[in-house]
Amino acid sequence: TMSAHQKYRYENDCKPDENRNKGASRWSQCRKRGADGSLRTSHAVEEPGKCSQSSRRPESFTTPESEGPVSRVKNWGDEVEAEEVRSNVQRDAHRYRRRILEADFPQRDRKISSGSSDSRDSRDSKESPAKGDIESDEATLIRRQKQINYGKNTLAYDRYIKEIPKHLRQPGVHPKTPNKFKKYSRRSWDQQIKLWRVKLHAWDPPAEEGNDVQQIEEIDLGEIMDFELDVECSGDTESPCPISSGASLALAEVIFTICYPIPSKISSNSISQYFHFFLFLMIDFCGGNFPCYVLGYTHFVYTAFDNF
Amino acid sequence: MLLFLFLSPSDPGSVDLEKVSNVIVDQSLKDQIFSREAGRICFTIVQAEAKQTNGNVFRRNLLNRLQQEFKAREETRKRSTHEWVCLVSFICNIFDYLKVNNMPMMALVHPVYDCLFRLAQSDALKNEEEVDCLVLQLHGIGDQLEKMNLQLMDELFNLLRDGFLLQEDLSSMGRLLLLEILEFRAGGWTLSETAQKYYYSEVTD
Repeated sequence: TMSAHQKYRYENDCKPDENRNKGASRWSQCRKRGADGSLRTSHAVEEPGKCSQSSRRPESFTTPESEGPVSRVKNWGDEVEAEEVRSNVQRDAHRYRRRILEADFPQRDRKISSGSSDSRDSRDSKESPAKGDIESDEATLIRRQKQINYGKNTLAYDRYIKEIPKHLRQPGVHPKTPNKFKKYSRRSWDQQIKLWRVKLHAWDPPAEEGNDVQQIEEIDLGEIMDFELDVECSGDTESPCPISSGASLALAEVIFTICYPIPSKISSNSISQYFHFFLFLMIDFCGGNFPCYVLGYTHFVYTAFDNF
Repeated sequence: MLLFLFLSPSDPGSVDLEKVSNVIVDQSLKDQIFSREAGRICFTIVQAEAKQTNGNVFRRNLLNRLQQEFKAREETRKRSTHEWVCLVSFICNIFDYLKVNNMPMMALVHPVYDCLFRLAQSDALKNEEEVDCLVLQLHGIGDQLEKMNLQLMDELFNLLRDGFLLQEDLSSMGRLLLLEILEFRAGGWTLSETAQKYYYSEVTD
């Protein structure tokens, strides 16, 4: 990982592979500041055991590890997203290999695992690739997965999968997600993606523009809203929890208790001291499968939860 | 009444997730109890957003905001020890709860270690509040952190051991807390029955 050090923004002079068991002095050698927080200078008279090197001091105590080249300034949001894509791809690859094995050694009554629906055609004997023909380069798989994600993150795709369940999809007629695990040239793959997305446009919502890459940043409460506002929470009310019908009440209770277990030690006297967040799960009255979320900020009123 | 805080001005039927993440971070930095619960809340919201819109606006905003606070941690520590320990507690709580495909977020491993190393410096060890925070986090996520990076955990515990043995200005409670965590890790991130009795039973005589 030494090359990652050079590229990473915080460079650390410590070499963790060397003798690590010297205790405080090991770390002191790499510290930018003395114990009182003041910056060390390279010529300062120092206490025994502390650093006397004049090389660059790190801002961080730790040596960052990296899986590959990193840009100079990273933000955690992007890093974690990249981790997630990578981890999803690895999981998909694992499942796909297992599916290939199952196709080679079909067993009766074996339950079909739900997983990446991108790669279901392994069971089709005509298309089933030999084990050696699986695309396994991680960077390629990640790039392809991102392209797939763009296509799936559209209203058109949403409407398509709702309208045409998997067992009704006909090859050639309905758009099919390209299989990222098959070996294709770059050009062939990009072309397949393009064609796939073009086909998906047939499910674009009517009379709307710019649906291609859609980022939903806000969760739509829709018809719930009026109801919500009526029952908003304030510190003085006794029942701050806006829960509606029976089914959504049960679900909200569950979410609430997962989210916020009622601390048994809080007495009703200290309630007014506490501000807490809690989360409401509301089921869309129309859709039934379209949960919306509202975050309420309120005084924590203990007695109200007797109603749950 | 404060429900309105989160409603987007352009579309009052919606919830502004970016704002939600900011409010959660702000509250976590003030309220230590909340900072220990926030992870669970954030996890629920992240799942919910992923499920409903396939997005991760909330998580991304949360993490970037957290990163800002982390970068400013030294100033925060100077300004207010309480805020600093809330920050550490919050970051560790997020690390604990916000997993990516059931794996801890790699991006947070070094920042968490950085915070713990800072708490293990001699100027921090003499504050009971900071020692308390340190051992609390290690109890909670020490084993996970060790799995992610064993050598850093070794180095951290070298510091703690040295602090315990050599540092003269520790409070007696501080010393006890350090001894307990040293034993805790030595026992494989659990306390033996004898140790449990030693540290946690009431003294009757």
